[in-house]
Amino acid sequence: MNRVRFGEGACEKIRKYLDSYISNELLIETNHEVLRHIENCPACAGELEARTQLRTRLKTAVNAQSVPPELQVRIREKIRTDHSSSWFGAGWFASGWSHGAVAMAASLIISVGVWLNYSPEKMPALTDRPGQNVYIQKVSATLAAVLKVGLGDHIHCSIFRKYPKDPPPVEKMEADLGASYKGLLPVVRAAVPDGYRVIMAHQCGYAGRHFIHLTLEKDGDLLSLVVARRKDGESLGALPPALETSGVPVYQSAATRYQVAGFEAGDFLAYVVSDLKSKANLHIAANLAPAVREFLLKIPA
Amino acid sequence: MLFSRKPRADEFEAAALPHMNDIYRTAVRLLGAGSGADDVVQDVYLQAWKSFSQFELGTNCRAWLFKILFHTLHHYRRKWLNIRMVKESEDILEQTAAGGPPLPEQITDEEMLAALTEVPQDFRAVVLLIDVEEFSYKEAAGILNVPIGTVMSRLSRGRRLLREKLVDLAQSYGIGRMHQEGKSA
Repeated sequence: MNRVRFGEGACEKIRKYLDSYISNELLIETNHEVLRHIENCPACAGELEARTQLRTRLKTAVNAQSVPPELQVRIREKIRTDHSSSWFGAGWFASGWSHGAVAMAASLIISVGVWLNYSPEKMPALTDRPGQNVYIQKVSATLAAVLKVGLGDHIHCSIFRKYPKDPPPVEKMEADLGASYKGLLPVVRAAVPDGYRVIMAHQCGYAGRHFIHLTLEKDGDLLSLVVARRKDGESLGALPPALETSGVPVYQSAATRYQVAGFEAGDFLAYVVSDLKSKANLHIAANLAPAVREFLLKIPA
Repeated sequence: MLFSRKPRADEFEAAALPHMNDIYRTAVRLLGAGSGADDVVQDVYLQAWKSFSQFELGTNCRAWLFKILFHTLHHYRRKWLNIRMVKESEDILEQTAAGGPPLPEQITDEEMLAALTEVPQDFRAVVLLIDVEEFSYKEAAGILNVPIGTVMSRLSRGRRLLREKLVDLAQSYGIGRMHQEGKSA
């Protein structure tokens, strides 16, 4: 065996470098010197292995913990609340304006803003398909494309479509969902909060895509679970997750009065859409995500 | 400036929220679970949001959030006062040069975290930043507002202390003894 000799104290010298070597903080030349030594020195190689193992095990142990979903929700809520309420308070007073001047300016801007911008979205008539499409495009304009998929079908199907006042029997909904997807009914019922009832469940189409769609209702609030096959390149992963539940990242964005949450399940993208408050919609999506994902992962490609 | 643009919540969320797990884990490991880590993380994000207009998009948001975390933790110092401090010394490289005790093979995540808790928090902070969060020495020095040399010495000392605590812990459970017995058999 060729043994490279660094002279007296070679091991001591190398071991002083080991911590920086593990952290990848050495110059290339020094790095090579360490590598050459440990290739020929079992004792230092063992020491390096022990230090590297310690680092790996520590990382694994610390990373096993995740931020609690409720903390994520709380922080997002506080940011959103602050965003909508604190602009005048912090920046304008700090800039030296008197309270009276700020109040007058605020009043003026609000008045002008209301005058110029108050144009509530008008809901098109049920038969006005082009108008419906324009409405959907308008309200979803600010959303990421991958989230528009779920919102579009929710509005098209749950908002514009007439559904019977009384939900159809389970057998009818199972038949409309088809053999592969009828098992979603008990999964969804078990995961949504008390009081929500499934009022429509079927397969439908919108904008050239096919959907599995369950509509739920509670006290007049409508909520959709929309499932679509993922198209090439479609992913929610580029968005910042709102929370992670049982290892499933859940994403959410608002579009006018709608909240659109989404999660991935193998070949599927699933959405929870409603006009509930952000926290409520995300809470329901977080409850649904693990169970729905588990169900969808069993569906053959 | 009167009409300076208020940063948008979605810009902030896109830049800052993906790092919440890292911030939370570090806070928990420095304060202990149930010791106010939730409140610290919330404070960190609210402070970050309030000063987000000063953050330059495209720069290292994660390092910026960690800097705020350690600034926030500084105000929670009273919770740290009963933690034993270890004096940093200049002979750290001499200690580093010596081989440490052998690492127990059978050790759980819980035991690893218990051993980490035993490491004084200044050293623990550097170990977490470098070994878990994989910041460079320079980034860690910026986050902690200390010289790079201090980061290096605290890292070496922290790693060594962690290893010693693990060995102590394992031996108290009989793991080290079992391992040694197995080797000598």
